[in-house]
Amino acid sequence: MTRFWRDLALGVRLATSGGREGRLRLLLTAVGVGLGVVLLIAATAMPAAVDSRRLRMEAAELGQSAEPPARSAHTLLVQRWQTEFRERSVFGLVVEPEGPAAPVPPGLTALPRPGEMFVSPALRRLLDSPEGALLRPRLPYQVVGVIGEDGLSGPSEHRLYIGGSGLAAADDAERITHFGNPGHEPPFRPIQLLLILIIFVVLLLPIAVFIVAAVRFGGEQRDRRLAALRLAGADARMTQRIAAGEVLAATGLGLLLGLLLFFGARPWIDHVSAYGFDAFGSDLRPSPLLLAALLVAVPATAVGVALLAMRRVVVEPLGVVRRAAARRRRLWWRLVAPAAGLALVYPLAGQAAGATGEIDELRVAAGAAALLIGVTALLPWLVEAVVRRLGRGPVAWQLAVRRLQADSGTSARVVNGMAVAVAGAIALQMLYSAAQVQDAVRTGQDPRRAQALVSGFAATPEVVPSLAVVRGVRAAAAVTTTMARPAGEPATGGGPDQPMVVYQVGVGDCASLAELAELDRCADGDVFRTTGAPDAAVPPPGTRLAFGIQPEETVHWTVPADAPEVPARIDPTGNHTRGVLLTPAAAAAAGLPPVLRYDMTTVYLQLDPAEPDAIEHVRNTVLASWPHGRVQQLRETAETERFTVIRRALSAGALVVLGLIGVSMVVAMLEQLHERRRLLAVLAAFGTRRATLAWSVLWQTAIPVLLGLVLAVLTGVGLGVLLLRMTGTTVHLDWSSVGGMAAAGAGLILLVTALTMPALWRLMRADGLRTE
Amino acid sequence: MSAAAPAEPLLVATGVHKSFGPTPALRGASLAVDAGEVVAVMGPSGSGKSTLLHCVAGVIRPDDGVVGYRGRDLVLMSDRERSALRRGEFGFVFQFGQLVPELTCLENVALPLRLNGMRWAEAGRRAADWLARLEVADVAGQRPGEVSGGQGQRVAVARALVTEPRVLFADEPTGALDSLNGERVMRLLIGMARDRGVAVVLVTHEPRVAAYADREVVVRDGRTRDLAVAA
Repeated sequence: MTRFWRDLALGVRLATSGGREGRLRLLLTAVGVGLGVVLLIAATAMPAAVDSRRLRMEAAELGQSAEPPARSAHTLLVQRWQTEFRERSVFGLVVEPEGPAAPVPPGLTALPRPGEMFVSPALRRLLDSPEGALLRPRLPYQVVGVIGEDGLSGPSEHRLYIGGSGLAAADDAERITHFGNPGHEPPFRPIQLLLILIIFVVLLLPIAVFIVAAVRFGGEQRDRRLAALRLAGADARMTQRIAAGEVLAATGLGLLLGLLLFFGARPWIDHVSAYGFDAFGSDLRPSPLLLAALLVAVPATAVGVALLAMRRVVVEPLGVVRRAAARRRRLWWRLVAPAAGLALVYPLAGQAAGATGEIDELRVAAGAAALLIGVTALLPWLVEAVVRRLGRGPVAWQLAVRRLQADSGTSARVVNGMAVAVAGAIALQMLYSAAQVQDAVRTGQDPRRAQALVSGFAATPEVVPSLAVVRGVRAAAAVTTTMARPAGEPATGGGPDQPMVVYQVGVGDCASLAELAELDRCADGDVFRTTGAPDAAVPPPGTRLAFGIQPEETVHWTVPADAPEVPARIDPTGNHTRGVLLTPAAAAAAGLPPVLRYDMTTVYLQLDPAEPDAIEHVRNTVLASWPHGRVQQLRETAETERFTVIRRALSAGALVVLGLIGVSMVVAMLEQLHERRRLLAVLAAFGTRRATLAWSVLWQTAIPVLLGLVLAVLTGVGLGVLLLRMTGTTVHLDWSSVGGMAAAGAGLILLVTALTMPALWRLMRADGLRTE
Repeated sequence: MSAAAPAEPLLVATGVHKSFGPTPALRGASLAVDAGEVVAVMGPSGSGKSTLLHCVAGVIRPDDGVVGYRGRDLVLMSDRERSALRRGEFGFVFQFGQLVPELTCLENVALPLRLNGMRWAEAGRRAADWLARLEVADVAGQRPGEVSGGQGQRVAVARALVTEPRVLFADEPTGALDSLNGERVMRLLIGMARDRGVAVVLVTHEPRVAAYADREVVVRDGRTRDLAVAA
């Protein structure tokens, strides 16, 4: 036992006392492990971050009471306030306390007084920025404070609380006694849960692969060092223990670095944000259990990997003989992991559970993980098998191919991480696309006819003309809609047995009415009856109609006997307006304007695509001139927020993983160049062009990466098909995600090559010959 | 009938200075090499003899001084021009690390020709020819790690001569070999060079190796001193 520890300690000492070069190698490994550890710790903190976010969102919800609360010193009147600004949602509440003990929303120190507002830090930044100039007209209030973290779901939220007055008279105001609505957030659906589980597998596996690659940095040097120890009398077991000690030193340092980096940087990070998926720095609280598991698993895995690698290396007293160099990689055992994954997932694919059914998440996650681990096992074999068959070409190609033929393992190890990330991301994108299609709500809106809609009650006569001249508005069509009942019918209906008969009546100019019906010809003063709309209630010609609720303001009008029938047309919002359509002159002749004054007006706006802020100008105009007006952008489909968040998380995660793999590839390439510096100097001495060696580096990076991409695409598509069949979704290959991932891989090749060029130029300097 | 004017040296270095950081390696060294001449540069370790070789071969640029080759000053040439010169007119043999370990011996010898744009078939044919002349044709298909030190060094000599250079620079070419192999390599190297009129700049600290030269130049503390070699 003492000997065991002594050997380990010797390994630690060897790792830390290798001179400048040795220390650099130790640092590289430690930084590699440290980066991986930071990401793993961040992953263990994700559940807490998600939970904190959910709790804060629930705490800011309006409190529900069993009975509508009566006005008291403890009540607060609230009115929801919401606008959109350049694809951002700016929202909050207008608040008016009814007494001194009115509840204060979380994150606020006091309630704002009329004319004042509290804003989130993100909204404050936006308002203070030049970009915010366009938003400021909508918020003509004095900022008196910033909402604290406990009142926000995340740091990017644009939330506000405006002090209001006279809310008791507002129809849409609510009275509350408290804030907070626990359990409001709905649970994840199976398909969403599946997405999240696989995201974790996909993102964590490459990090593990990266750590494994990092502990093999400087492997050749270490093997030579161990050979020297064998020469000095160390037996094979001692050598293995010393090697384990070396790896432990680097991994331990990496763990320490990772912990320091994470916990040291956390207080200084006010938020983490990528692709709109954000959390406060303080939300990142790793689970103690997961953290402890990490602290044990990382060194144990690292030592395991090093010893496994040494099983393939016989450390001989007079040098290092690699058995694997002479022996080809065997395929059979590399198929075990993918076969196991397939065995786990394939039977489930036969029994489609559907989006709402049950899915054995654990089995699916295990199967997906096994399939992705299979990629890491298969890739070294594939790279070796392919490069063995590659023939002669230009000098750069020949140098690269021969180098890969001599040792393809190092490249394959590094590329493995990228292959897993790409395979997983493709499968996820396929699943995501399908889930998105499943979950996307078809709005029925037609953005080709109108791109924005403004609607609301009590539009003044100036509203529509003022909207028509807003910057970026090409055309505005407005229809005011009211209700009419057959004359003689009571305004409130005849009781439960006699449901009230009502007719819809739309008033607008000919161009506007053409959005609601197929009009062959139209002139001011015309009246039309629509046909063809489902559940159409159209008054027959000659029907006498009554408008208005109160008897004193009731207006009567008879549908003209010659009012032509016109086919109803679905309007740009996807709805039918059925009943009677009147042009303004006809409505004026009927005496309707006093009644219409309080009715719903809908304005369809055609926007100039060359003016991207047209919708913002419309919002500003509406807020200033039409308090009841609501602006809406018309879209064909609407994604649910949750899928958007998942997609953003996937994009952010994939970006981090690709960055990490890039770092790993650069480090591996730099190490290889450093080890070959003498050869590079010699090649430079007899006149080798820089471009030749640069191309050689490019090919050396590109060949394994391209093979990795091919394997990743095949595995990713296969896994995606299985997952789609499992969720009972139509299999559809998402070429854009395949292309995107392939492009990301190609970008990585170029980036890695570009980043290694300065080192290559430096090492090609003839100074390297001085070591002769 | 007037006497013929003495021929210009093929390669001439005058007053060459070179420092690495604060450490001076050459302090006004000079060297002249005629076409077909074999010059041994001798001196103790750290005297600056390898640095002198690198300077006159255009591998590194001296801080001061002139290095002339066939009327052109290497010091004034761009890196690209010097690389082209080394590729076409010079050959190199070093003590260690000169062969690309992943390439076969044949491919290693063909490498300079291929770098000059020669097609593989022709480059391979010439490389095989040179391997045969250096008596290592049997290792053509083997990689450097699979051949002996002496064989590897003869492959390196073949690679240095395959481009038919005017000057061959050899930096301790037998430093890693036993005396028997060292003799064999030197005999072949000098023999081939003399047959083709190739000038040789031979850096060595072994008098036995320097004995193959027509003339010796001793480098000490970064300065040179010419010695004639007794026939």
